[in-house]
Amino acid sequence: MANRDIELIGHLMRRAGFGATREQLDSYAARGYEATVEMLLDQREERRMGDDLIRRFHPELSGMMGTLGSGENWLYRMASTTTPLREKVALFWHGIFATGYPKVIHGKALSDQVRMFRYRGMRSFRDLLAELSQDPAMIIWLDNQDNHKDAINENFGRELLELFSMGVGNYTEQDVQECARAFTGWTLGNREYMELRSMRDSDWPYGRISWHFEFHDHDHDFGEKEFLGQRGPFNGDDIVDIICQQEATARFISRHMYSFFVADEPPVPEWPYVEPQDPDAIDLLVQAYFDSGYDITAMLRALFNSDHFKDEAVWYRKVKSPVELVAGVLRLTGEFDRPRKEILDRYQQSIFMGQFLNNPPSVEGWHQGTDWIDTGSLVERINFASQQLGDTAKPGVRTMVERIAHAPSVSPEMLVDACLDQVGAIQVSEDTRRELVDFASVAGSPNDANHGRIAEVLQMVASTHEFQRA
Amino acid sequence: MTTVQDIPEIKVLEYRMTLGMTTMEGRGFYAPTDVGIADDGRMYVANRSLENVARGVRVTVCDIDSEYYGTFASYGTGAGQFVWPSACAIDSRGRVYVSDEYLHRVSIFDKEGAPLSQWGEHGAADGQLDTPSGLAFDADDNLYVADTYNHRVQQFTADGRFLLAFGREGDGAGEFSLPWGITVGADGCVYVADWGNDRVQKFAADGAHLASYGSPGRGDGEFHRPSGVAVDANGYIYVADWGNERVQVLNADGGFVQKLRGEATLSAWAANFLAINVEEGDARSRANLEPEVDYFVDDPHEESSHIEKYFWSPVSVKLDRDGNLYVTEANRHRIQVYRPSAAGG
Repeated sequence: MANRDIELIGHLMRRAGFGATREQLDSYAARGYEATVEMLLDQREERRMGDDLIRRFHPELSGMMGTLGSGENWLYRMASTTTPLREKVALFWHGIFATGYPKVIHGKALSDQVRMFRYRGMRSFRDLLAELSQDPAMIIWLDNQDNHKDAINENFGRELLELFSMGVGNYTEQDVQECARAFTGWTLGNREYMELRSMRDSDWPYGRISWHFEFHDHDHDFGEKEFLGQRGPFNGDDIVDIICQQEATARFISRHMYSFFVADEPPVPEWPYVEPQDPDAIDLLVQAYFDSGYDITAMLRALFNSDHFKDEAVWYRKVKSPVELVAGVLRLTGEFDRPRKEILDRYQQSIFMGQFLNNPPSVEGWHQGTDWIDTGSLVERINFASQQLGDTAKPGVRTMVERIAHAPSVSPEMLVDACLDQVGAIQVSEDTRRELVDFASVAGSPNDANHGRIAEVLQMVASTHEFQRA
Repeated sequence: MTTVQDIPEIKVLEYRMTLGMTTMEGRGFYAPTDVGIADDGRMYVANRSLENVARGVRVTVCDIDSEYYGTFASYGTGAGQFVWPSACAIDSRGRVYVSDEYLHRVSIFDKEGAPLSQWGEHGAADGQLDTPSGLAFDADDNLYVADTYNHRVQQFTADGRFLLAFGREGDGAGEFSLPWGITVGADGCVYVADWGNDRVQKFAADGAHLASYGSPGRGDGEFHRPSGVAVDANGYIYVADWGNERVQVLNADGGFVQKLRGEATLSAWAANFLAINVEEGDARSRANLEPEVDYFVDDPHEESSHIEKYFWSPVSVKLDRDGNLYVTEANRHRIQVYRPSAAGG
């Protein structure tokens, strides 16, 4: 049975990844906690289902036409990668820099943005913001193609400060306008044709063409600007430099990171009025931000190795987002050992539960925590997880069932504990355990640990409060 | 089977034209995966469509003059339906064979598109199929099938009776990794795009390994995940170098001859669309369709996503009787046609 070391690594894998099988937890525990953190932070040795294989069998995940391709492709990655933190961090940034299909209307552009989060998201925050400012989907999302030297559009400039870096209360209206001036002329190549095709959702004649950034110097305001107390002929890169120097930026990003990886903070609009629940944790992250020169990996390392993160009081506090739940279940079931048409259905389940990747409800992204749960979504979540974990035709389920059957389960209690252990060494409350044991007792005699009965208990485990949380 | 007669020995290919355009229904293609070319020149284009849009799944019938003859088949599991249509081949009587990678079967239609029969059973035993992709007939109307996830090639009679199988999973001579496209040369030899091994392999009709061409890479004569292969009467080998987003021509000994990156222009159907949709046509005429882009990743797939004329997912290469090469592009929903030219020789 699980010991605390295994359970702690289970917590790490739920938060920094999408959960882990018991077999994986054993191998991580053999390395030790800190070594496992380093493994998660190290992006060099990734193994996953290759893009070639996905593209071969799913042409739409190559061309990224339509609304679903980008999310399906991402789910394949989440379900198969050996470096899940990279995908988790991409999700983190997608939630903050939330960009949506209804305005962009270009699946490849949105998928390209996620790819950028994947490759830039764990490095310098300064470089990430600079890249974001040139991201074609973001340019369209926040109208920077309409931000001209002689007529600024301050949409991107405002959100860059309000939602992407510093938060309300840390800049003036003049800063917003000066910021917008610095980004004039940062636009989309072939803007007229590309915008028209998006407006018409035109795939004609030969499918969509990827978007690219262009700098139009004739439309850029090269004049002097005053921004956050500094003066100069700033361009967008200079603005990003100044933003990253600010303590408010460090605190804003740190609070987001704490909320995503440790415990839910209130929605961002409340932050000016509500203090962080764990100010010491925020201070730790702020320190790591400045000490490392804005390095996200350094912040994550400090966080995952901190007592703030390891504290058992925060375990199972976070509700898994729908896509986290789906990806975690798919990693347990091992269904996608090869490209399968069923990936579309699995991805759509996360939509039914309330999370449509690349289609957030607003520029503020999704509200986290118990906002994921309502009567309808809870039924979807439980049905999905139970159905998948009860299907012994799936290789991962078969492996778990065989491992449980192999060990002597002489009592319903032992059967329940073995099932909880196999799905990732999860702990449950006494009430939950009692319910599970009652169910296991009814499901068959204590000595009759047949595969069907084990699968039924796994299904019941999938419906528990603790399994649905991280 | 592809035969090319009475044409000069080919040294180079030159761009001729582009066929098709993106449509979910009727005249056009959506995620086309292959084209079968009948002796009368009719083209049968298998369309995979989007997975959540059933109506795009069909076979489009047209010809090199952009004549449109209609569509047949639909999405589903019944007779005459597909879920994941893949390859298309035509037998000597003009019947149309389409493989289905999801239903693990081959469906047969008459030349007008009426469903005749289907055969295939999921499994790994002789005669069973796991994700059948490439199809090619020999001179006797026996059908070679790339049995992808069984990592082998099987041969069947036209009505589905098992004849022989060769290959197994691996990277040695005669072994395969997820084979895809397949063709039969004028001499009856079988050429297979050994997708996962980044090579083309040549076999005698009975499956005896004769040669392997290519190795992993982006250089001349190297491949990345080749998807299709065609061979002309002179033994020249045309390879859809899918992962490198190009087509390569090899001589009969496998030596590098030529590479094509794609030169698509407006097809007759595309020109018609843009003439009718004036605003879009005008905007397109003002756009730079060959922009200089600072690519996020060094990857031909990425480059092809930006430069429309380049091949993007060239899934298949097929020859017609005149030696024209048809390159089907799944991501650009069109077919580029190249003609043989002796001029460069």
